[in-house]
Amino acid sequence: MLRGVGLELPPGALVRIEGGNGGGKSTLLRILAGIDTPTEGRVAGRPRRTAYVPERFPAALPLTAGSYLTHLGRVHGLTGAEAARRAAAGLERFGAAAYARTPLSELSKGTSQKVAVAQALLAGPGLLVLDEAWTGLDAPARAELDRAVTERTADGGTVVFVDHDPARLAGRPDAHHRIEAGALVPVAAAVPAGAARPASVRVHAVGPPGATPPLGLAATPAPGGGVLLTVDADRSDAVLRELLTARPPWHIRAVEELR
Amino acid sequence: MTALLRYQAALLLRSQRWIAPLVVYAGFVAVGIRPGDRALDSLGYAAAGLVPQTAWLVRICVGAEPPAARACAAAAAGPARVHAAALLTALGGALTAGAAGACFALLCGGPGGKPPAATAAAGVVAVLVCALTGAAVGALCSRPLVRGRGLAVLAGGLGSLLAWVAAFSPARSAVSALVGAARTDGVPLPLGSLAAAALLAAAAGTAACLLSARRE
Repeated sequence: MLRGVGLELPPGALVRIEGGNGGGKSTLLRILAGIDTPTEGRVAGRPRRTAYVPERFPAALPLTAGSYLTHLGRVHGLTGAEAARRAAAGLERFGAAAYARTPLSELSKGTSQKVAVAQALLAGPGLLVLDEAWTGLDAPARAELDRAVTERTADGGTVVFVDHDPARLAGRPDAHHRIEAGALVPVAAAVPAGAARPASVRVHAVGPPGATPPLGLAATPAPGGGVLLTVDADRSDAVLRELLTARPPWHIRAVEELR
Repeated sequence: MTALLRYQAALLLRSQRWIAPLVVYAGFVAVGIRPGDRALDSLGYAAAGLVPQTAWLVRICVGAEPPAARACAAAAAGPARVHAAALLTALGGALTAGAAGACFALLCGGPGGKPPAATAAAGVVAVLVCALTGAAVGALCSRPLVRGRGLAVLAGGLGSLLAWVAAFSPARSAVSALVGAARTDGVPLPLGSLAAAALLAAAAGTAACLLSARRE
């Protein structure tokens, strides 16, 4: 189905794959995620934590959403308590907290999909493979998944996705490939001509004593205490989320756009 | 691997699909073992019933997840490990049932002048041999090697029958060792059959696990 595919996925990259129906997008993603092995060739250097979201998740499993996520969290390598905590947080994040005790077989298509997405994000995967994962999600959950993808890449994870919506994460992918007649061809960067370099954002944050900024950000001491973090504008949400959800959380004094 | 085993065990227990093979096995043991039978005879019978029961449980366990859920688990842990966990869960379930069947056989059966400890040891080995053989049959006769329900059920039935009657089958040699010894002196300990069954199960399981990453 696919032949002569060479694809390098650096850490922190967001990669979009497109192509016609039945062209082999899903096959490629399943091979990347390690679900299927290629007949010839191999995939080298796959991160230890890999997660996959299928397009449809009609999981007629005899488990509740919460217990399924806890089990999968353990399979992803978390401890039981951490898996349970993140399972609850994941359902909450995608607006499905009310379904934690609902059997998977009774969930609607959209809520099942939220469970599939939450499953993939449980353990902060080094490689996240999304096969039209947005399909069936409601608007807030789609936006949340966009944010989650940005967070993963900001955190050094690689994200590969296929989506039928050409506007999905528009302008964000670092690489863009199209499957044509069984071969993978790069698509020129879709940044419109004359687009300005994205602005930076400066965050003034005060951390708990002795804390270092998350995500390995370079920080400069700020006058009057705390640190100044300068990040790309499209990463700022992810950085703020990291700071605010750190344990113990950071205090944000100011956020300022730089031109 | 522990996490995968817990996941697969939860799927098996909560699906309640284990009930049918367990009821069939319980019926098989209850009908075939009479109070006062020779213990070795009864143990051989209880062990023999495990072959199709284990193959059936393997089929249930490797099919417990719908493809989408299997893909998610396979991405997290690798398809071979997911498949191995399903096989081991089925084997664990079958051994639990086999232990209960063997206890029933020991409690019901008359000792027939045999030392009870050696009789029990022979029963344990026979149960292990038959469960491992049944697991090998199940692994070879279900996904990913045999797809399609009708074909898999037919193959599993024929495979179990073969494991009962074929001269090379470790299950057959272990069961006939027990049943034969019930009428003569001494108590056998069919460790050779156990080694053969372990090898057979390991080979079949490895083949199935390696092929589980093949595109479906």
